[in-house]
Amino acid sequence: MNFYKLLILIIATIGLSTAKAEQFGEPVDNASLLKISTIMAAPDTFLDQQVTIEGTVVGVCAKRGCWMTIASDKRFENLQIKVNDGDMVFPMTAKGSKAMATGKLNKIQLNLSRTKALLAHRAQQAGNEFDENTVTKPMAIYQLVPTGVEILE
Amino acid sequence: MGLVIIFAVSGIAVNHKDDWNPNYRVEQVVTSISAQNWSLDNDTELANQVLAISKIDEKVKTSYWASPTQFKLFFKNGNNLLLNLKDQQLIYEKIAPRHVFQAFNRLHLNETKASWVIFSDAFAALLIFLALSGLFMIKGRHSPWGIKSLWVISGIALPAVYIFM
Repeated sequence: MNFYKLLILIIATIGLSTAKAEQFGEPVDNASLLKISTIMAAPDTFLDQQVTIEGTVVGVCAKRGCWMTIASDKRFENLQIKVNDGDMVFPMTAKGSKAMATGKLNKIQLNLSRTKALLAHRAQQAGNEFDENTVTKPMAIYQLVPTGVEILE
Repeated sequence: MGLVIIFAVSGIAVNHKDDWNPNYRVEQVVTSISAQNWSLDNDTELANQVLAISKIDEKVKTSYWASPTQFKLFFKNGNNLLLNLKDQQLIYEKIAPRHVFQAFNRLHLNETKASWVIFSDAFAALLIFLALSGLFMIKGRHSPWGIKSLWVISGIALPAVYIFM
């Protein structure tokens, strides 16, 4: 095998290995599994404990793979899992797959202008009308910061 | 040479990640559709209706209601299809990994094993040695200590200008 064939083989092997990503970080803890709807019903009560969620991956950060959106068991509800760039890189092809993630819930308190911007963006994504004058109070958003993620087929 | 190419190509790709996705080629095809009698109470039937109208022959992984007016099909090959009931549109998203760029970026951004970090640290140390040894290895009129020191100074000054700009 000459040098160029070997180089192509190495690149192809690395490429194929990146295309099939399943386990990220530490193993998922099945014992702490909770429904996303349970967590989102009272998120502040889960801030200091380790939780595991599961659901369908419905969105993935396209450029850095640094977040995934997991659909809740409740319609039109979801929870985002977020890592620092490079800590875990979630593949876009995970969309539609089942995923489990173990970690801690992080609360991000928004000010009023950021709340309006976020709700406007969500309304645009959902194809709904939005009047920012109807928003009078700032809101908080919640993300799961995972220590381990498993993407299941 | 291979490592220099990997770091240089990936560096360019990552520098322009806001304009261009270095890891995936994502294409969207938007099609307007006429009003239909959609099976909104049965996701399987609705999925079959959407597939028939779109003429897409791909295996469905799962379906998902993103909102009361947005029904999405995820295909096994990573692509997806959104039915937008409000705008009467089908949006087909094709996702194709850029395998070579993905591999280069993965190495450049140290998203692999710890052994790669040690290897790339060693490579960086050798680059530092190459840069510094070049100051002393060449004698005579090609030495970097004469008029050619301007090149050395400009190599330090240019990054400094960008830091203090």
